[in-house]
Amino acid sequence: MHQAIAFRVALVVAGDRGDAEEAVQDGFVKAYRALDRFRERAPFRPWLLRIVANEARNRRRSAGRRAGLVLRAAEAAASGDAASSPEAAALSHARRAELLAALGSLDERDREVLVHRFLLALGEEETAAALGIRRGTVKSRTSRALERLRTALGEETR
Amino acid sequence: MNGLERELRALGTLVDWPDAPDVAPVVVERLAAPRPRRRPSRRLGLALVAVLLALAVALAVPPARTAILDWLGIGSARIVHVDDLPSLPLTASAQLLGEKTTLADARRRAGFPVAAPPRGEPGPDQIRVVDGLRVSYVWRNGDRIRLLVTQVPGLLQRGEILRKLIPPYVKIERLTIDGEGAVFLSGGPHAVFLLDPHGSFREDRGWLAGSTLLVDRGGSTLRIEGAIDRDQAVELARSMT
Repeated sequence: MHQAIAFRVALVVAGDRGDAEEAVQDGFVKAYRALDRFRERAPFRPWLLRIVANEARNRRRSAGRRAGLVLRAAEAAASGDAASSPEAAALSHARRAELLAALGSLDERDREVLVHRFLLALGEEETAAALGIRRGTVKSRTSRALERLRTALGEETR
Repeated sequence: MNGLERELRALGTLVDWPDAPDVAPVVVERLAAPRPRRRPSRRLGLALVAVLLALAVALAVPPARTAILDWLGIGSARIVHVDDLPSLPLTASAQLLGEKTTLADARRRAGFPVAAPPRGEPGPDQIRVVDGLRVSYVWRNGDRIRLLVTQVPGLLQRGEILRKLIPPYVKIERLTIDGEGAVFLSGGPHAVFLLDPHGSFREDRGWLAGSTLLVDRGGSTLRIEGAIDRDQAVELARSMT
């Protein structure tokens, strides 16, 4: 349950599979040992994701790597025909390629907020936790990033 | 959500995410490793004192502790790490294990696939059933339960059915038995709770168990408890089909 989403967030943040796996391991051990400091009324998943994402970010920094793994994985999948949902089936191959190219052209901060909010389907609070920013920042950054994405796609902004 | 957001979501479902690695065994091992400042032998001693004197230790498992270890389970059994064990009897009560009956009747009332008692062993002294929840085979030695084999519905049918509280000194080994995931717990007592017919875990209705094998059989989860080592437990599990 938590393991799958924690691994995906770690993968997005660390940009490397081995590092993501280590980040999840260390994050879970740390989270468990820090449980006494966890406020029981607070939602649990954002708290856990924050710890795991921190571990992942530290590893990415020390490796000096840019995150791009998810877009590469999406590119590989976007060319295939196995659609995992009706919505995905409705997305033409040309449109998938356009979206990926546009996402790739955004700067990293814009791209990562969109990846967390929509590709990973995280809520605002969980996105804030994973990126280590405030919830209000997630809101404003998301809407700005969507505008920039529309521009990159050559679509009218509303 | 507008059109572009929906498209991005759809794109997310296309991503071929690598399978999440099972980090549970490593995490469990690291959590179970003795902390350097305390000696394991002393902790074991304290735990036994706690058990023997039946100190009233509050069964306080914070929700978060349960949440983080959700995935540290096997089949419909969940494993929760605790520092101290609650005060509980040393064997399962007849009331918990249910009514005495025959194998045919137990199978009819179970509502999930029930394996026959182990081949090549003397038959159980008792077969007990709680409708829809569990079937137990009991071998007795006087008043004591010598060997207890319990089957409960698998995870997909009923969710969590068994809960185990594991203190730090208990060793957890992950195994595969003929392709089925299993866990062997040994090294000291742990607490066991069974879901009651009202769908809850009563904190005063468990018992302290010794070595235990748990096997995830898909449609059911098998539990074998007794003074047995790992290989004997695996052998018993294999002989139950």
